[in-house]
Amino acid sequence: MIMEQLLITIVLVALGYFFGRRAENKHIKSIIEREAVMNQLPAMAGRFPPQNGKYHQQLVSGSVVIANDYFKTFVAGLRNLFGGKITAYETLLDRARREAVLRMKQEAQSLGAELIFNVKYETSNISGQYNKRMPVIEVHAYGTALMEYSTK
Amino acid sequence: MYHNPKIPEGINSTKENPLKEFSILLLGTIALVVIVSLILGFSGSWLAGKIPFSAEVKIASMYDITQYTDSNEHPRLAQYLQSLVDKISKAQNLPEEMKITAHYMDSDTVNAFATIGGNLFIYRGLLEKVPNENTLVTLLGHEIGHVKYRHPIKSLGRGVAVAIAMTTITGSTDSQIMGDAGLLTTLQFSREMEKQADEEAMYTLQSLYGHINGGAELFRIFQNMRQEMETDEPSELFSTHPLDQHRIDNISIMAKKNNWKETGNLSPLPDFFQEEINSYLNQ
Repeated sequence: MIMEQLLITIVLVALGYFFGRRAENKHIKSIIEREAVMNQLPAMAGRFPPQNGKYHQQLVSGSVVIANDYFKTFVAGLRNLFGGKITAYETLLDRARREAVLRMKQEAQSLGAELIFNVKYETSNISGQYNKRMPVIEVHAYGTALMEYSTK
Repeated sequence: MYHNPKIPEGINSTKENPLKEFSILLLGTIALVVIVSLILGFSGSWLAGKIPFSAEVKIASMYDITQYTDSNEHPRLAQYLQSLVDKISKAQNLPEEMKITAHYMDSDTVNAFATIGGNLFIYRGLLEKVPNENTLVTLLGHEIGHVKYRHPIKSLGRGVAVAIAMTTITGSTDSQIMGDAGLLTTLQFSREMEKQADEEAMYTLQSLYGHINGGAELFRIFQNMRQEMETDEPSELFSTHPLDQHRIDNISIMAKKNNWKETGNLSPLPDFFQEEINSYLNQ
């Protein structure tokens, strides 16, 4: 019985590691590529847009939901015993934030925006109250897109 | 016009392979668990040894032990086992309040064990293989030796201490700390305990019969049984009972040291013995 549980855990951790790592590397690569392209549309945290009357504003947002893999949960569980930074989650959340910004920029781009102001993030745990469940987290990035009045 | 800089990598996340952190944490956890179990197991066992026997009897009475025994269906056999147990208790100079109760179990299992409250369980499967009274006395003497040195309560104390620690560490609440099954199955004695009980059994044989013939037979029964089952004897490192051959050798060493006779007349088992243990065949 104990052996079976141990075996199931080992298989889950191994699967979590191999597939989680593959997906993560692929995602990071794609993020870096898309960021290079999207950098032509700047996003900033400043709260005051240019007041020269050239632009109109619109709310843009991007959100992403990420689930943890079993390997990361397991490592984080072990980390809970000793304390310290949970690097497995750090990577995960970094990916999520950048992906959310990319989606927000995508929306702004489709509106023809030149700038996004007042960018903010929100993170919420949507895995429910049960602490045994794997964490599922939503990262939501939103800001004010500035579009130039068409110079017809 | 403002331009976003390219975000440098490796500030908010690390490039380090997570397996490295994983293995360090895993080794650390295993070391922690081992050290904590050893310390707590030792203290639990030590503290439990301080529990007076009367309190141990009270703990045992929380369990309904009678539901496991078949003594009532075999009164002659039960009486015979009890009379041997009483004789051995006297020979081992057990304290007055340490009352040993023998329970007969009508099952094929080749086993016998001592548990808390001075309760001895002897299975039919093992009795079937016992050739004479001397061997039976060795068996009972061994188990009573466990009780004499408080092994069952010490073992229980160790188990409870470790279980509490593990529940705290893992945070799981579903493990039973003192479950009903725990009383009968999880009492594991250390090798030192087994050796102590073996020696007590030999003293008993010597003081009751004036020789220790028939004692080694008990361990040969176990040896043969393991060979029949074709399971290789586990290496001594992982087994709590000393290897059977070791135990047989130990007997000779003890006999030589104490000038005990290794030969002598064997007392037969009573006539009804075979009849009683074979009675299940007629049902």
